[in-house]
Amino acid sequence: MEDAQVVNLIVRRAVGGDSLAWEDLVHRYNRRIYNICYRFSGSGEHADDLTQEVFIKMYKTLSSYDVERGAFMTWVTTITRNLLVDHFRKTKQDRVTDSMDAGTSPEEDSLTLSDQLEDGGPLPDDLQRKRQAAEMVHKGLQKLSPELREALILRDLQDMDYREIAVALKVPEGTVKSRINRGRAELARLLSRTYKQVI
Amino acid sequence: MADEIKSGMHCAEFETLLFDAVDGTLVAGTLTRFRTHASGCASCGPLFADAQAGQQWLRSLAEVEPPKNLVHNILAKTSGVEERYQEQVVERKPSRFALALGWLQPVLTGSFSGIWATVRQPRFGMSVAMAFFSVSLVMSVAGIKVNELAKVDLRPSALRRTYYSTQARVVKYYTNMRVFYEIESRVRDVQRATTPAESRPRERERSREPEKEQRKENNTSGRPSKGQERNGDLNQYRNNDRNGDQNYASDESEPVVAQAGEARKAREFETGDVDGSTSLCSDVTRRNV
Repeated sequence: MEDAQVVNLIVRRAVGGDSLAWEDLVHRYNRRIYNICYRFSGSGEHADDLTQEVFIKMYKTLSSYDVERGAFMTWVTTITRNLLVDHFRKTKQDRVTDSMDAGTSPEEDSLTLSDQLEDGGPLPDDLQRKRQAAEMVHKGLQKLSPELREALILRDLQDMDYREIAVALKVPEGTVKSRINRGRAELARLLSRTYKQVI
Repeated sequence: MADEIKSGMHCAEFETLLFDAVDGTLVAGTLTRFRTHASGCASCGPLFADAQAGQQWLRSLAEVEPPKNLVHNILAKTSGVEERYQEQVVERKPSRFALALGWLQPVLTGSFSGIWATVRQPRFGMSVAMAFFSVSLVMSVAGIKVNELAKVDLRPSALRRTYYSTQARVVKYYTNMRVFYEIESRVRDVQRATTPAESRPRERERSREPEKEQRKENNTSGRPSKGQERNGDLNQYRNNDRNGDQNYASDESEPVVAQAGEARKAREFETGDVDGSTSLCSDVTRRNV
């Protein structure tokens, strides 16, 4: 039995009131949804809340899932994306305030607040460099527009097919490709600038 | 981006193919044309390089680990079956103690089964815990630290000094305790409360005294009452006996005694024994008869 068929069976059982099947779904998808939320919102705390909201919404609307319309993962991603967009709109004002308060030094830009606070002990060079690079990319991703960001997350971090992304984002396939291209190029430019500043 | 044709490809076509080229899904012929255009076009070449670099940056990001309690919270907010989930987690990950117990089980169920059965009693565990608690309490009060045990001075003088200082510390500790003060004040209250309660029987006795006196007055035999005998108040009995004749004689309401007194006076008058010390015994003897 293929994975999609197994998932559909589990979903059917969960819709029928089988709590074990619901638990199975939560175990299967919590990591993936959390990662999407984390990369989009940029905060672990927000990602935690958003993931819970996604599952609450899933639980309430699970019976509305139609197997004929597409894969369960695409349906879950659509729910997640809609909630992320809502969250983005709600927190727009907060972000403006944060960006005004934020420091502009390149060192601060390249490190997260937790890294700055920890000011970790003597880490091996490679490990520290990788950590800094990961933080740079994560922060760079937050500077992209939400349209480009969501397309990049789904494609390059979640390995979704561009057709599935088009369904999840409800935009034409060409638009998805274009957003991904622009997003990648813009991120690379941002990171190259930051990287030069750090060095 | 200028819409110019370089190596048989428009920049617009290049942009359309960019996605597939970066993902590596372009067919060989198209890929050659694409690469030729990229190397010749001032705007499309850097775009291709940036897109590739951006993809590499993103692919370098590792997956983030969700919080440990995320699944638990989700289940609690949706189906409310977090308890079963926790049980499953416990089943999946047995503790080190459980593993060690599993290893020791054959040994313990063999030769030490009787001792093991005792040890497994909750009562035994509680006793051990209480003993540990008591020892640690005593040690903390006595100022003994486990890591300083090696430095303990065992000379008699040092031990004596330690003993006295510890005793003083303990006494000070207990007398300064609030509980101690409270208990002390309660005891005082109880003592105060019981003091008037003790006085009541005395009052009762006082209220009974007139009755007793009346009984004494009615008692013409000159003997102490049974209660007096029981109480062993022999002195009172003796005094009564010694002075009773006079007392009884002075009371006119006691006809027998009065008569006895009169007879004695008459006899004293006859014999001339004014003191009456000899006749008293004879009177008493006569009365008893």
